[in-house]
Amino acid sequence: MVTAGVKGRRPHGLRRVAVGQVLLWSFIGLGAFLLLAKSVQNSSQFGRYQLWILLIDICAVVALSVLIARKLWRLVRDYRAHVPGSRLTARTVGIFGGLVIAPLLIVYLSSLEFINVGIDSWFKVEVKQGLSDALGLSRAALDLRMREYSSRTQALAEALTGATPASVQSRLDAERRTSQALEVVLFAGHERILAASLENPLESLPSRLPPDLLRQVEQHAPYVSLEPQAGGRYLIRTAAALGDAGDRGEVRFVAAIYPVPAQLAALSEAVQSSYSQYGDLAALREPLKYSFRLTLTLVLLLAMLAAIYGAIYSAQHLVRPVQDLIEGTRAVGKGDFGTRLPLPSRDEMGFLVHSFNDMTKRLRRARAEATQSQQAVERERERLAIILARLSTGVLAIDRGMTVRTANEAAGAILGTDLSAATGRSLPELAASNERLGQFVAALAVRFAGGREEWREQLDLDGSAGRRTLMCACTPLPGEDSDMGFVIVFDDITALLQAQRDAAWGEVARRLAHEIKNPLTPIQLSAERLRRRLLEGMNERDAEILERGTRTIVQQVETMQQMVNAFSEYARAPEMHITRFSLNQLVTEVADLYRSQDPRTRIRLDLDGHIEAIEADRGRVRQILNNLVTNALEALDGIASPLLEISTRLEEGADAAYAAITVCDNGPGFQRELLGRVFDPYVTSKPKGTGLGLAIVKKIIEEHGGRIDADNRPEGGARVRVVLPVKDSTRSATGSARERRDQLRRERA
Amino acid sequence: MTRRALVTAVFGIAMMLARLAGADALDGVLEVRSAYVNIDKGVFLLHARVEYPVGPAIRTALQDGITLVFDLEARVERDRRFWFNSNIVDLTLRRELTYHAVSDRFVVRDVRSGDQLTFATLDEALDYLGRVDAWPILVEPQLDGGSYDISVRAGVRRGHLPTSLRAILFWTDDWARLSEWYTWSLPV
Repeated sequence: MVTAGVKGRRPHGLRRVAVGQVLLWSFIGLGAFLLLAKSVQNSSQFGRYQLWILLIDICAVVALSVLIARKLWRLVRDYRAHVPGSRLTARTVGIFGGLVIAPLLIVYLSSLEFINVGIDSWFKVEVKQGLSDALGLSRAALDLRMREYSSRTQALAEALTGATPASVQSRLDAERRTSQALEVVLFAGHERILAASLENPLESLPSRLPPDLLRQVEQHAPYVSLEPQAGGRYLIRTAAALGDAGDRGEVRFVAAIYPVPAQLAALSEAVQSSYSQYGDLAALREPLKYSFRLTLTLVLLLAMLAAIYGAIYSAQHLVRPVQDLIEGTRAVGKGDFGTRLPLPSRDEMGFLVHSFNDMTKRLRRARAEATQSQQAVERERERLAIILARLSTGVLAIDRGMTVRTANEAAGAILGTDLSAATGRSLPELAASNERLGQFVAALAVRFAGGREEWREQLDLDGSAGRRTLMCACTPLPGEDSDMGFVIVFDDITALLQAQRDAAWGEVARRLAHEIKNPLTPIQLSAERLRRRLLEGMNERDAEILERGTRTIVQQVETMQQMVNAFSEYARAPEMHITRFSLNQLVTEVADLYRSQDPRTRIRLDLDGHIEAIEADRGRVRQILNNLVTNALEALDGIASPLLEISTRLEEGADAAYAAITVCDNGPGFQRELLGRVFDPYVTSKPKGTGLGLAIVKKIIEEHGGRIDADNRPEGGARVRVVLPVKDSTRSATGSARERRDQLRRERA
Repeated sequence: MTRRALVTAVFGIAMMLARLAGADALDGVLEVRSAYVNIDKGVFLLHARVEYPVGPAIRTALQDGITLVFDLEARVERDRRFWFNSNIVDLTLRRELTYHAVSDRFVVRDVRSGDQLTFATLDEALDYLGRVDAWPILVEPQLDGGSYDISVRAGVRRGHLPTSLRAILFWTDDWARLSEWYTWSLPV
């Protein structure tokens, strides 16, 4: 939780950046100041290192440029690739860079202007003019002395003209002492000394004459020059030609050197020194500017590049936790809750990262719990699916639009269609190709349309394979959603009902056989006795009536006895004599028998050679065949080209082998309404039948552990299919019909 | 590489660039016209004649107060067949030429000894600078047989330049020139 006290403080990272900026600026300013100060104040000392400083500065500028270019290139690359945090980094670098570069440029431009103006001010016109005036003044002062000495020299030359050699030396000495000259020398020709007067004759010789002096005196022109000496001294050299020539005809001239007074010399030397220094500096005016500009530019470049580099570094340092957060958020978005970010610091960013890590930890824990719950639900669902799959009861879950949500295998088996891939499909759409399912859907639709959502009823579904009876229960599914749908649970109770009927009929037959058969014999005997006693004493007409009545009674009693015998046979369970015999041979025998009895009917056999022998009661199997063939032949009565087909097939079941016998005819077939009950007693379409033939057949087959089905062929005619186990052990394992009936009775009780 | 060598290399490059740029205040010929040595009592004395450039720019600059430095470099190397030559002697005769405004004369000063001469004209001063006679550069004990080469080169540059500016002026100063080396074998 962010507290109010934390809000006002600057982030730790920003504070560090600010401190770094201040230090950087301080160092740069100090360095620049030292550079400028040293270059101005002590150029000779600084100059020793300046080349190296320049080289180091240039190397630093190049190195920083390379580093910055590398970082900028990476930044641009990340920006274009939309790397998380790159835009924030670029913006931060821009802001920092702008904040640094703008004042730097202002300082730089101001400094340039200051340098230009400052250096130009050194060379103002007034300074130069002052120097020129001082120079002129010095020259004027010295010119006065020079003219004075030149006049003295010329006067001496005139005095020496025509003088005797003996007086020359004295005149020279007098002149030197009078004028305080350093030397006064009389030359003849170029450098031939005729006489000389020196201040220190033992220490020095007359000085060497400058070439311009000789040229001047040869033309009889006076010569005067000012000669600067080492140590700031000045000498005035004068010369003047004599009016006469020497003994060799060459020009004679007198040359003198006069010292300039020390004070005047010092002042003149000061003026000369200033003039020279000013000249040197004036010549260095532009190079000085260039030097300062270059130094300043280097300092600026260094400062700017260092600041930009610092800005990039600081921005990246600041943005790194944000980048981590973005990547962490993306990872969490992709479902990776194991992401843990490093704590950058103990500031607000650190608090944010800590909160993120805490959040991912909670998410990870919640996901683990959700996964465990999901796994538990999944396990429960799988268990339920297994239970549903193993259930013999059909379970069907549908929504209110009758779209299938769940259906187990038993539901498909009971409804006669494969519902394994029916999830998500509409039930009416699936029912289009299945008659039984269609009736089931119609029954559901009627009840739903009537607003009945919870019911339990018995549904009768008719189909080509006969009638099926389902015990069906519908319940709305619980849940918050109003369209949770319904679950429909149903059982196929056809076999159960049939077994119940079989048991009931068996009981009826046994009672009939017991209750009716006993009075029939006395009735028959009484009728015969009445006829025998009374017939002789009656007239012809009465005798005839008696005769006809007793005969009718006897015939009806015999008929009833036959019927009772049939019931008795249906009800009894004789011991079976299991033998091993050839089924195909038995079928052939029965067929041959009926061929001879009814030659008009064509009997075609299709026998499977793989059936070698079966273990069953041969007599009762023959009875089955006789019944089926007799029924077929009776059905073919009146058919134009009667055809009876008997086929056998060996079928491999899941647990044992079975022999299937199919009897087909091309007669009218079973009546549709009787299809589900053809094996019930007293169900017949024949006018003379007892209705017990197929019931007895079914009973015999069930006692063998087999089954029988009856339906109509699509091309017309009836088809009865009998399946018998090949081995007697199979029958023993499944139990006899009587046992099943006994079990049914126990269940009902 | 010593600092001097580095400075010389940079200076050379700067000179070359300055020449390529075509800006040359020291317009005119700068070359060693002739040079020879003679041996006097075991001392090798160098005599050289150098032609220095002279022109209105130099005159004006001198009259404005700048100082020109005239260097004459002499180098004696011992020839080696399979390696670089060894340097026996490397001397520089440095003199400064200034214009003395108060006396209106040109002053030539020997930097080492401090002796100076004055001349009324620039031509006389340059003529004096171009004549070097009997400059002792070597004594016989320094030689131990073999063959030796002696090289002489003259140079002119602006003097009284602050050292701090010298590096910067490498690529802006057109007041610096060097002649080609004048080389011959030392007669031993």
